[in-house]
Parts: sequence; C-alpha cells; structure tokens
Amino acid sequence: MIGVVKMTQEKKKRSIPLTVLLTLVALGQLVPLVWLFDFSLAKSGDLFGSNMFILPDPPQWGNYAKAWINGKIPQYFVNSIIVNAVSIGLVAVFSVTMAYAFTRMKWKLSKPLLALVTIGIMVPIHATLLPNFLIFTRLKIADTYLGLILPYVAFGLPMGTFIMTGFMEGVPHSVEESAILDGCNTRQLIFRIIFPLVRPAIVTVIIMTYISTWNEFIMAATFVADDSLRTLPYAVYNFAGEYSADYAVQFAVMMLVALPSLLIYAFLSDRITAGVTEGALKG
Amino acid sequence: MVKKSISRALSLFLAVVLTAAVAGCSSNNGAASSGAASGANGDSSKKVALTFFSNLPDRSTGQGLLEQQLIDNFTKENTNVSVTVQSLQDDPYKQKFKTYVAANNLPDVFMVWGQPSFFQSIMEQGYAAELNKGDYDSYDFLPGSLDGFSLNGKLYGLPRNSDFMALFYNSKILSDNGLQPPQSTSDFTAMAQKLKAKGISLFAIGGQEKWPLAILWNDMVVKETGSDKVVRDAFTKQDFSDPKLLQASTDFQKLAKSGIFQASISTDKTADAQNLFAQGKAAMYYSGEWDMSMATNDAFSEDFRKNLKVMAFPTAEGGSGKLTDIMGWNGGGYAVSAKSPNKDAAVKLVNYILKPENWTKSGWEQGLIVPAQKFTDYMTGKETEVQKSLVNILSTATSTSGTPVNDSGSAQFKTDFETAVQELATGMIKPDKFIQTLNDSVKANPVS
Amino acid sequence: MHRVLSNKRAIFWMVFPGFAVFCFAVFIPLFYSVFLGMTDWRGYGEIHMVWAQNFSKILFHDPVFWISLKNALLLAVLTMLIQHPVALLFAYLIAKVGGKREKLFRTLFFVPCVISTVVTSRMWVAFLSPTYGLVNHFLKAVGLGFLQTDWLSNQRTAIYALIFVIMWQGFGWAMLIYYSGIKGLPKDIMEAAKVDGANRFNLLWHITLPLLRPVIVVNLTVALISSFKQMETIFLTTNGGPGNTTQFIANYLYTEAFSAQKYGYANAISVLFVVICILATVILNHSLKRDAIES
Repeated sequence: MIGVVKMTQEKKKRSIPLTVLLTLVALGQLVPLVWLFDFSLAKSGDLFGSNMFILPDPPQWGNYAKAWINGKIPQYFVNSIIVNAVSIGLVAVFSVTMAYAFTRMKWKLSKPLLALVTIGIMVPIHATLLPNFLIFTRLKIADTYLGLILPYVAFGLPMGTFIMTGFMEGVPHSVEESAILDGCNTRQLIFRIIFPLVRPAIVTVIIMTYISTWNEFIMAATFVADDSLRTLPYAVYNFAGEYSADYAVQFAVMMLVALPSLLIYAFLSDRITAGVTEGALKG
Repeated sequence: MVKKSISRALSLFLAVVLTAAVAGCSSNNGAASSGAASGANGDSSKKVALTFFSNLPDRSTGQGLLEQQLIDNFTKENTNVSVTVQSLQDDPYKQKFKTYVAANNLPDVFMVWGQPSFFQSIMEQGYAAELNKGDYDSYDFLPGSLDGFSLNGKLYGLPRNSDFMALFYNSKILSDNGLQPPQSTSDFTAMAQKLKAKGISLFAIGGQEKWPLAILWNDMVVKETGSDKVVRDAFTKQDFSDPKLLQASTDFQKLAKSGIFQASISTDKTADAQNLFAQGKAAMYYSGEWDMSMATNDAFSEDFRKNLKVMAFPTAEGGSGKLTDIMGWNGGGYAVSAKSPNKDAAVKLVNYILKPENWTKSGWEQGLIVPAQKFTDYMTGKETEVQKSLVNILSTATSTSGTPVNDSGSAQFKTDFETAVQELATGMIKPDKFIQTLNDSVKANPVS
Repeated sequence: MHRVLSNKRAIFWMVFPGFAVFCFAVFIPLFYSVFLGMTDWRGYGEIHMVWAQNFSKILFHDPVFWISLKNALLLAVLTMLIQHPVALLFAYLIAKVGGKREKLFRTLFFVPCVISTVVTSRMWVAFLSPTYGLVNHFLKAVGLGFLQTDWLSNQRTAIYALIFVIMWQGFGWAMLIYYSGIKGLPKDIMEAAKVDGANRFNLLWHITLPLLRPVIVVNLTVALISSFKQMETIFLTTNGGPGNTTQFIANYLYTEAFSAQKYGYANAISVLFVVICILATVILNHSLKRDAIES
C-alpha cells in the first residue's frame, strides 16, 4: 500500500518535465494551424511583413464574412452533408447485412464473394479514377450526388465489411438462435437483434468512413463540375483560383472548411480515437 | 452513460441518413429526366436550355462578369432560352474539357483556345459545329485572328481577344532603388541583385502552371532571332536543333540561374505570381494583356495601381529581334458543339456575345480586354495608362509570333515541352538535353 | 433455424445491393481499365488495340514511372525510419503521463488527421513559402538564414519537404495506433518486470517492444501501402514538380490522362498501379505471417 502511494508521488514528479516536453511538441505540431488562423484575421498585406506571428489589430472578422459568402461555404457544406450522410449510412447498413450473410448464413458463394470484397481493401482508390470518370460521364451520373456516393460507398464497404465480420465472429450465437426459435424472420432478425448487438462496430465503421469520405478531394474535383453540387474540400481549391489576391480571405476559407471536422472531433474525440484504433488494428 | 447516449445519437443519425438516402436518390432521378427533356430547336416558341462552358469562373468581376451580363441580356431578349453556365479556371477547364470530349458529351457552347494543341483535334474529329463565315462580315475581326479557329477553309470558332505578352512593372519599386526599366535582357541580372537585398524579386512568373515559362522562352527566341520563324521551321522539320534555339535556351537558363525569378517559382501559379507583384514583393510580372484589369481592380492597393506600368518584353543583347517583335496570337474564343440539339440557338448566343458593340465595346471601355475585332471606334480617350501602353505595343508591332510554341504541337508535345522548360528554368537539365527532349517529343508526336 | 439462415431470397437482398455498388464502382472499372490500357485511345476518335505495348513502354522506357515508384519507396522508408520510431516514443510517453493530460495530448496530436488534405496542403504551401512562409522567417530569426530556400520548388529539397508534410499529417494516426497498442499491453507483466528491478530503458526495450510487435507490424504495413497510394498532397502542393522530381504514380496517371490526353497509356499505368498495391500487400502479409509463426 505504502509502495503504491510512493509510486504515484514519484510518477507525478517525473511527469512534470514530460508534460512540458509533450506540450512543446503538441504546440509544434499545431503551429501551422495557429499561424493559419492568425493570418486569416490579418489584412492580406500583413502576410508579407517580417513578423512570424502578428496581433491583428483589429481582427479582420470581415475576412470570414467574405469567405463565407464568396467561398460559397453554406452551399458546399450542405452538399457535403448530403453526400457523406448517404454514403456513410449505406456503408453502415450494407456492411452489417453483408457481414451477417457472409459469417452466419449458409450459402455456396459466401467464401469467394467475401474474398472478392476483401480484395477491395487493397485496390487504390485513384486507380479507378479514369475508368469511373468515363463510365459515369456516359451514364450521366458524373454530375450528380450519385457520382460521388457510389464510389464512396464502394470504397467504404470492403473496410466496413471487414471490420464487421471480425466483430460478428465474436458475437455469441445464442441470442439469434433463441430469436429464430421464437419465430423471427430474417428482416426482424437483422434489424431487431443484430443491429443493436453490433452497435459498437457500426460506430467504428461510421467513423472510419467519415474520415475518408468527408475530406475526399480528387474524386470530388474530377467527377463533379456543376458548382451547385460541389463538396466542402473543393471550396479551398476553387477559392484559391478565383480570389488569389486575397491571402487572408483564402486562409479564412481554409479555416471554415476545417471547422466542421474540428468541431465534430472536439465533441466525439473519444469515440473517434477508439474507432480509428479499432478500425486500423482490425483492418 | 455518455457512451450510451453517443451511440444512441449515432443510431438516430443513421436512421436520418437512410431516409435521406432514399430521398436523395429519387431527387437525382428527377433531375436527370428533366434534363433530358429539352430537345427543342432555335424556334422561338419552344423552350430551349443551353449549357455554356466557360474558363472565367469569377462571375462577379472582370471578363467573367461581362460574359455573364451578355448572357443575361441575351436570355432577356430571347425569353424562351435559358443558359446554364459552368465555369472553371484554365487548367481544370482544360482537363474537364478533355473528359467531355472523351465522353463525347460537350456542352452546347464552350470556350476554346484557337491553338493546335487544343483545338486542332476538336475540329478534325468534328466535335465543333461549322459556322457560317458570311455571318461575320460586319464583325471586323482583325486580320489573321480567325486562323486558329479554321481548318481547310472552314470556320469552327470565334476569337474573343487579341492576346499578347508584355512586361508589367512597378515603377515605384524601380525608382526607389535607382533602377530604370530594362533596355535589354542582360540588364535583368544586375537589377535582380540590387532588389534581392531588400527581399524583393525582380520577376514574378507562374512557374507551376509552366506555360508562362514556355511563352517566355518563346519570347526570348523571338528577341534573339527577330521572328517566330525558327520555331515554325522546327515543327515542319520535326527538329529543334537550330543553334539559335540552343542559344536562346542557354540564355534563358542563364537568366533563371542568376536569380531573376521569385524563389517560389515552381509552386506559384499565375495568380500567386500576380499577387507577389501586386503586394510589392516583385518588381516585374511577365504576363499577357489579359491582366490589364490590374490597373482598375479594387482588390489591389491604390498605390500599386498608380505605379503600374507596362512595356514590351526587352530585346536580347546581340539579338536581331526588335522591341516591336512581340509574342501575340488569338487565344481564347467560343465554339458550338456539333452534337448540340439546339445548335441554332447556341450559334445565336455566340454571335450575340461577340457582336462588336457587346464584347468588344464593353470590354474595351471597362478596361478588361484588347479585342480581336477592330476597336478604334470605341476609344474613349479615358483609357488607363496601362491600356494605352498596351494598345501602343500592339499597334506598333512589326511582327507577331502566332500561337506560342507549347500550344503549337499536340497535347503530348505541350506536356513534354512544359515539363522540360520548367526543368530548364530550375536548372535540372542542361540546354542541350532540353533541345534533345523537344526533338524526341516532336518526332513521337507530329502535328497532323 | 437452418431454414432462416439459408433463406436464398434474404441472402440475395442482404448481399446484392452492396455488392452491386462495389462491383459497379470498383471491379467493372478495373476491367474497363485493363481494356483501355491495351489501346492507344487519346480521348477522341477511333480506338486501336496495341495490346501489351503500353505496358512494356511503361516498364522499360518510362523514367517517370520509375521515379514515381522510387519516390513512393523513399516515402515508405523515411516514414518507417523517422515517423514511426518518433510516433512510438510519443505514444509511450503519452501513455505514461496519465490522467486528464493523457487524453488531452492524445487528442491534440491527432488534430491534423481530421482536417481535410486540401486545407493542410494549401496551408503547408503557404507555410513553406519562401516569400512569406513561417519556416523561412523562423530560420532567419534564429540565425540560420543561410538555410532558407524555396522548399517545394528546389529540386533538392522538394521531395523531402513533401515527405515531411505527408508525415506531419500522418503522425497522429501512427501514434494513436501505437498508443492503443501500449494501452492494451497486459499490466501484470509490466508490474512484474518493475518489481524484478528492470530499469525504464530495459522495460521499454525488452518487454514493451517485443509485446508490441504485432501492432508495429500492422502499422508498418499500413504505412508502406499508403506510401504507394499517395496522391492528394502531391496534387495540391507540387503537382509532381519541379519537372517530375516529386511525381507519384496516382498523380502521374492523372496528368497523363487529363493533360497529355493519353487515356490508353494512363489506364495501363492504372492497371500496374493496382497490381503493385495488391502484390505489396500480399507479399507483406505473407512474409509477416511466416514471421509471426517463427517468433
């Protein structure tokens, strides 16, 4: 008992230099962001001065107003929400139903199809850029939400199914067995019994898919040309081209694009960290 | 407890998403079918929906605004026509355009560069509709300006502007440092040295986009030899080994090495370069007449606008080119898709925009462009000094180059040339290797 | 029971929609790509079959393709030699801090990973700018002004600057995974070792690291694969330049298709790209599996 107390005291003492070190490194890691924020509140010309950081006096909040309106942030944001919500939702549902069919149900093609889907994890997403572009344009889905949703779902599924099959293997058979004996049909089984059981894995899948699709840029820039359908990451690229003279406002656009992700992360950081580690270690 | 509520929130989110999924998909279908329903002709009773693809994404100022206003006026006069504009910056525009071609799905009206690397294959493959030459007798297009838009005597597009290169400079930076505008390219090095101490670059150029470097190289060839002939010959002979070209390449690299460009040359786009110039971080900016609106653009400081001057790119010491031998061509313009179901209406729109009293008159009066049509009638006497200098450069030109070298070959040649010229500028390859690369490329990708 | 679990109709509706989307957007395009890769299609006009010509040209006569591969390998090696040891060390340190601070640091270190690459890339372009970037300002301020350069345009520094940016963004991922690996270590072994009088270094070197082996293996595999797949950061910073010094496969195929208009050739690169990624994964998994059995 005494040993334990001593140890924790020692731990506290030791941890002060450690905390200082970690604080410094964490700040170093975040300096570019702080710098970006700093100069997003300055006048564009201030950037060319010799100061590393400045005290914007007064802070040019107008930059953000300009960025909000000219950067078309609200419109892109809504598009991002639609595309991502649908993609993430579909990945979550499909990965549960597929994983269940692959692990628990008995049918001939189960093994080979699962293998095929798993190979998808290895396929680099950008290798499908050209053929998909041609196919999508010809089928006239290139300039629709669907043009992004389809590839996002297709590339989210392998990882989602993989995580889900791994999780389901650890779920005991007893619950569903009794449900089936009680006369549940497949639909009830899946939606009433399985979904609640695999909820933690669903959260992981949602988070993994969210991180990769919310920030996706190349496909969003290639498949969508109609400005009214563009997603948030495009705003930065677009704005940098159109309002090149205004660095401060450009930085403000960048901050605004980063903001939703940062907010979501701030509120759900525990879940996200847990989800990421689970997803990465299982995948 | 917290965990539980979060996962509950997430499942709720999931439910919302699923509903949205269903709704989202059905609304997409709706959009697709309504788009397909527009198959009407130019006849005024029927509704006509035109798609218009532009390289002017900023619709609120400058040329983009002018283009938009003319389109709006057109739809006001022709109430049955609606026009959907899609616009992208040059580079993304070119990429997107190629993908439309690949899918054989071009918009009704599109912007084109009347240059072989861009427009040649489009005309050859029949993607662009033939225009009736007789319609433009009263348009007063400047001599030669339709060449890049014609193939075998047939006309497939119309130019907007007269494009030519010039050297913009900030007269205050020069005078503050006891410098004069350069007499020849050999003055650059000493000027650059003097400015460097103050943290100012002599030259800002959009090296990441590579084409400005290609045009600069071409300009140096012109100043070295007096015309663009040696480049044209190289294309015909499929051989760039002419010693004069090697000489120009060597001079080009020497200048680049002596530090006349801004340090961030290969990460700066044209817009970044312009910004360095406007912020007083570079004394000069090599660009075309299309940047003349810098003189009237409110986004730049008044101080800068007041001191903005422009001159022709200086001659080379010992070269046979004169100050009046300039890089000039007719670049951007419009064409109509041969496949367009509303071809008549599309042609009507293009003809309307480019009517002398529309694009040319307004563009000139607002200080946005140097038109491709005769515009002396529209001189107001209230032109900015930059405008006057530019007109002077163009009107006193003793020779104009035609399409710049990088746009004179195939698309592949363009990529090869631009990569090589960037490597030449950053000192990665020697001039002889540069010439070798051009030879390999032009032989492998002959101009048809 | 068997009847419910082998209900063909139910299985169909559970698997088909997702599988169809997957095939539509992943498998069919790959086959289409194989076909186009055997043609000389330029985006317009007729399509001629050239069969294996594109592939042999890429493999034997295309220096840029090999530069792209070399850059990917360089990125992989530097990530493994620099990013990962540092990430592991910091994971270890953070796990030692304990309490609220532990959570705070864990959260802060991961922040760059949740921000869109478009934002971070543009940010680093500005941050590394020779004219106004903070990096050069800083060097000047601490008397290292002679080191100032244009990090992303200088052919000698461009690839390293780019690799640094990629590492910066990926650091949080690597660290977080090591962190949770460390957190998952059996406490009793650690305590027993401490009681046995192992010092801190011994504990880390002889106990923690060997126990972490599976996590390290997974993490390094992911690093290698993602090195090959890099695209966005390159596209948004140097776009492969100056020249092709910072070219990566995905960015290269994009340029070949959408700028040089060599759709056939670009699709052939695409196909090789997939083959390389799958081969790398399979070989790694295979050798690591054997490794795991031996140890």
